Amino acid sequence: MSGAGSNRTRAVLDRIAARLLDASVGERIAIAAASMTLALLIGLVVVAFAGYDPVQFLGNVAVGAFGDANALARTLKFTTLFILTGVAVAIAFRAGVFNIGVQGQFVVGGFATVIAILQLAPFLPTGATGGVLLMVLGTVAGVIAGGAYGALPGILKAYGDANEIVTTIMLNFIATGAVGYLVDGPFRGEGNRAPNTARIPEYVSLPRVVFDVPDFSVVGLAVTLVVVAAIAWVLARTRFGYDMVTSGHQIAAATFSGVNAKRTVVATMTLSGMVAGIAGALFAIMIQGYYSDPAGIGTYGFDAIAVSLLAANNPLGVVPAGFLFGALDSAGSHIRINSDVPVQLIDGIIGLVVLFVAVPELFRMAAERTGLGGEN
Amino acid sequence: MDFDDRGTRLRLGAAVGTVVLALAAAVALGWPLADILTVGFVERTLQAATPIALASIGGLYAEKSGVFNIGLEGFMIFGAANTGALVWLLGGESPTQADLWVAMGLAVALSVAYTVLFAVLLIRYKANQIVAGLAVWFIGLGFGPFTAVLVWGNRNSPGLVSMADVTVPGLAELPVVGPVLFDTSPLVLLTILLAIGAWVFLYRTRYGYWLQAAGENPEALDTAGVSVNHVRYAAVIFSGAMAGLAGAVLLAHSGSFTGTGQTMVNGRGWIGIVAYLFGNYNPLGAAAAALLFGGLDMLQIQFQTVGIQVPNRLVNLFPYAAVVVVLTVWSSTRMPSALGEPYESED
Repeated sequence: MSGAGSNRTRAVLDRIAARLLDASVGERIAIAAASMTLALLIGLVVVAFAGYDPVQFLGNVAVGAFGDANALARTLKFTTLFILTGVAVAIAFRAGVFNIGVQGQFVVGGFATVIAILQLAPFLPTGATGGVLLMVLGTVAGVIAGGAYGALPGILKAYGDANEIVTTIMLNFIATGAVGYLVDGPFRGEGNRAPNTARIPEYVSLPRVVFDVPDFSVVGLAVTLVVVAAIAWVLARTRFGYDMVTSGHQIAAATFSGVNAKRTVVATMTLSGMVAGIAGALFAIMIQGYYSDPAGIGTYGFDAIAVSLLAANNPLGVVPAGFLFGALDSAGSHIRINSDVPVQLIDGIIGLVVLFVAVPELFRMAAERTGLGGEN
Repeated sequence: MDFDDRGTRLRLGAAVGTVVLALAAAVALGWPLADILTVGFVERTLQAATPIALASIGGLYAEKSGVFNIGLEGFMIFGAANTGALVWLLGGESPTQADLWVAMGLAVALSVAYTVLFAVLLIRYKANQIVAGLAVWFIGLGFGPFTAVLVWGNRNSPGLVSMADVTVPGLAELPVVGPVLFDTSPLVLLTILLAIGAWVFLYRTRYGYWLQAAGENPEALDTAGVSVNHVRYAAVIFSGAMAGLAGAVLLAHSGSFTGTGQTMVNGRGWIGIVAYLFGNYNPLGAAAAALLFGGLDMLQIQFQTVGIQVPNRLVNLFPYAAVVVVLTVWSSTRMPSALGEPYESED
């Protein structure tokens, strides 16, 4: 009975993957652009209906995202997080595994980074050398924690046949609650009135190059792009990446050619969680410098699903898609302060983007009707 | 419940076994069981289970018809936010019970309108059901709190009005059953009636068989001259209405809207999906599973009253942890064969 159920799910996923695959690259870009535009248009209509000026709103979005050096630094700061979490999602989705738990893996990874740095700092020299060492060790801790937290639902899916969509969503709630409890109780920094851990030492920070802001460093962006390149290479050029993608799209063919599908699922989820862990580490070191209640931290891991889908789950495509979302989120920060329009609108627009990306048929039919689709 | 089904019996046995084991463990730990399992706890459990059960029954109908409505959580957020906003528009600072009922009705009507659009995208435009369902959740997480900020200037509403208990004269005097069923929120009774009705409709009427056929063997249904897509539209729209009602009930029981974090719905729609998987796609089984999750949700109050020292934040995680365990141990549900497949009629 169990086998039949899982084959059935697999068949459903196979069909979905097949449908995603048959779109050409150009068509995908067109669908992404159309989804984004349509979602923004609906957002503007909602703004107008709510009694605000949509033109002024659009102006605020542009100024908030690219208005000056600070705005641009903020945009790039969010971009790094969206690229990394987006790549984490893309790894899993490409392999036909629906990892909705990137947010939880991001939180667990970031928390582990801060705790590792705080615990190890007394044993290492201070200054630049110690700082670099601590950042590396902290990131390793974050990667291990994120990977392990991603492996868990992978194991439950592979060996317990538990639907990963639901388990990863539940694990997000559990990560937020458990880390929230830990920063409030056992790991609360001494004398802290807020439920936060202690701060990591001053010298554990990325250098301020190009932008002189406390929470973004070009080094962080560079690390992010290196990770993207590495993952793109693994997926496109290695045996492991090939196995992952084929087992996602063609389970029968993959099994026939000797791929262990169960182990591939676990490996996929682990790799996805590890990248989410890097995002968590970068957030902890570059942006926050301590860890707070995750209930109050941005939902990068959720929005990453939209980023990845917009990029058709291609790790390289995640870079421009992540930049687009970084700009949107940065605009949101600006709007929160400089406009009366409730900033939650941005989250709604992101949801609409995901909805439209899910319906390529809508745009294909529209293109056919208007004669824009060419030979399609 | 359909006791002829071996799977259902097995699950039921396992669930009862787990509860007995948990009780034995509690006794062994020296916990004051009698003080934990109070009549008040049962009453709170039923109230907490109602939204989960309603969403679960809706989701089950959609899935039985062959469409995966993973957007339950999002439709619940809209149900709760719209009910709150409408109560405020109707009654201002001091809304009445009548305002609450009207607001709930209108919110369900709005949910039907949203679900019609959703169903068109899923069925006519063959949207990816998983991604589109997630999108509904995201849209709810954005526009639910957005509505709250527009109406109250804050993601959380002030205290509005909560559903008053209805006391049935005579029956309310019965021991245990009296306070639990006949001196409580009328929405609890409504949910029980809806669960029984959904079971009868699904297994004892012609339309119920159509619904099952749309998910199991759409070709046969088509041959019999019934439009598969019409049945699916009806099932998906019903699921959205039920999820909207679930959100409205959640708001009516709590008396105010919470839009911070993951909003007041906080995963209940997702738990509803697990409830029907655990209940083996049987409306009564789904309602029973909802009771289990509702009970876990309310355990925290019991722990506090008897003075068991477990941090709140961790006790609140019990339902989510239970979902992971349930899915891993009893995931061998047989899904409808044509689930997730768009159906195209030959003619």
